[in-house]
Amino acid sequence: MSETTTTPAAVALRGLRKHYGAVAAVDGIDLEIRPGEVVALLGPNGAGKSTAIDMILGLTTPDAGRVRVFGRTPADAAREGVIGAMLQNGTLLDDLTVLETVRLVASLHKRPIPVERALRRAGAEDLAGRRAGRLSGGQSQRVRFAVALVSDPDLLVLDEPTAAMDPATRRDFWKAMYEDTTTGRTVLFATHYLEEAEEYADRVVLVTGGRVAADGSVAEIRALAGGRVIRAALPDAGEAALRSLPAVTGCEFRDGRAEIASADSDATLRALLHRFPAARDIEITAAGLESAFLALTAETETAR
Amino acid sequence: MNLTYTRIELKRSLRNPRFMIFAFAFPVFLFLIQTNVFVTDKDPDAATATAIIMVNMLAFGVFFAATSNGGRLATERAAGWQRQLRLTPLTGRGYMLGKSLTGLLLGVPVLVAVPVIAALANGVSLDAAQWARILLGTWLGAIPFVLLGLLVGQLARPDTLQPLNMGITLVMGFLGGMWIPVDAMPSWMQQLAPVLPSYWLTQLGRGAVTGDLSRSLGLTALVLAAWTIVLGTLVVWRYRKDSARA
Repeated sequence: MSETTTTPAAVALRGLRKHYGAVAAVDGIDLEIRPGEVVALLGPNGAGKSTAIDMILGLTTPDAGRVRVFGRTPADAAREGVIGAMLQNGTLLDDLTVLETVRLVASLHKRPIPVERALRRAGAEDLAGRRAGRLSGGQSQRVRFAVALVSDPDLLVLDEPTAAMDPATRRDFWKAMYEDTTTGRTVLFATHYLEEAEEYADRVVLVTGGRVAADGSVAEIRALAGGRVIRAALPDAGEAALRSLPAVTGCEFRDGRAEIASADSDATLRALLHRFPAARDIEITAAGLESAFLALTAETETAR
Repeated sequence: MNLTYTRIELKRSLRNPRFMIFAFAFPVFLFLIQTNVFVTDKDPDAATATAIIMVNMLAFGVFFAATSNGGRLATERAAGWQRQLRLTPLTGRGYMLGKSLTGLLLGVPVLVAVPVIAALANGVSLDAAQWARILLGTWLGAIPFVLLGLLVGQLARPDTLQPLNMGITLVMGFLGGMWIPVDAMPSWMQQLAPVLPSYWLTQLGRGAVTGDLSRSLGLTALVLAAWTIVLGTLVVWRYRKDSARA
């Protein structure tokens, strides 16, 4: 499909699979990312996010399926300097300065942007003269971001880029990232921080057990698991009874308190009050991505 | 391969104190000590003995440069740096060729320093052909050792690298005739030494200063070429296996 259209997809995955021994790390993923999209690959640890990313980058060979990056194989795309990436657990060379590190990578690419500009965009210009081995976790992540940017890639892939950062640094990082993507760059980032996906992605691809559990805009993903959450103290209720109420998509009941995800909170609440007149402390909130995440991952876990 | 990349790679090594001590200062000091202890002015063969020690220290210097150059491979792989480089237009072949080139270039400082000291302080005087054979020969003779360094770097983890390289250095140094010249070896060691490539590396320069216990240049070149082919094949095999497994 992607080859026949004039602008091929930034990333096109078809039936992607990768097994490690008996474990299916990636168990059949189909995904198409359009140029310019900012996509979050969201999922718990061990969901297969990193394996999927390594295959997109051409660092891991799939057992089955096909990967295309702007219509090319990952290896060709990398050779063209189309892909920039911050890899997970990647470190820098301790004995190089930040400036040398970025300059070295720039020297390997065909059309790099000036090293100073890459450092500035990544918010690392004040680190230029420092040895990479003496940076804090957040600082070295910024340098690695500069390394990813210096080739001026069309596709930027970030594998849990903020894992080593404190909340303030994390916010700065995403600010820098966001400013950068106004240029129309395609971004794919893996994270298990829901708020990051919620705040910075146009589109969320939820991955669990090596498969895509849900794929859509943040609003769509939320809606999938029910638009609202009803919380109430219900002294004489049971979880099974609550689940049988209309429009309920998820429920948790503990110590007389219920947390009910509902696709139609009005209908659910009417039925709830009818069956459990003793309900009190009722609270209705819009479901965050978190409850969507929990509901959807729970669904795929039980379906397996 | 490109200039910026090679220059930065060289800079990394040259500002590493451990590299400078072992690959540069150590051979120089060893040369000064050995010539002072083992060679006396009354010795009729003093000039030759000094030249032989010089040749051996040159061999050791380029050997050590090659070893420590290769060791970086293990560090770079463990740090995930090789994965990062695979996302650039640099090919695996280019990476390995670049590493081979830096391995050779890092041997140059010692190839300059020891002969300068030998000529100025110890009065070693050789003709142009002798110098050419010693310097160019030892430099090119370092090729199989650069490959050996790369192979060890591909196989070792950062924590096993040090003892592995230490063992190889001891064997090559003592048995291979870099630290003990063949002249001083007992006969069983003299017979054992040719098994090791470092023996042939010292033979490249030795043949230029003495015919005693020396092998012909042709045979020496042939043996080192064979080592180059064997080690080069192993490096390529290991590299392919490494990238296929990923």
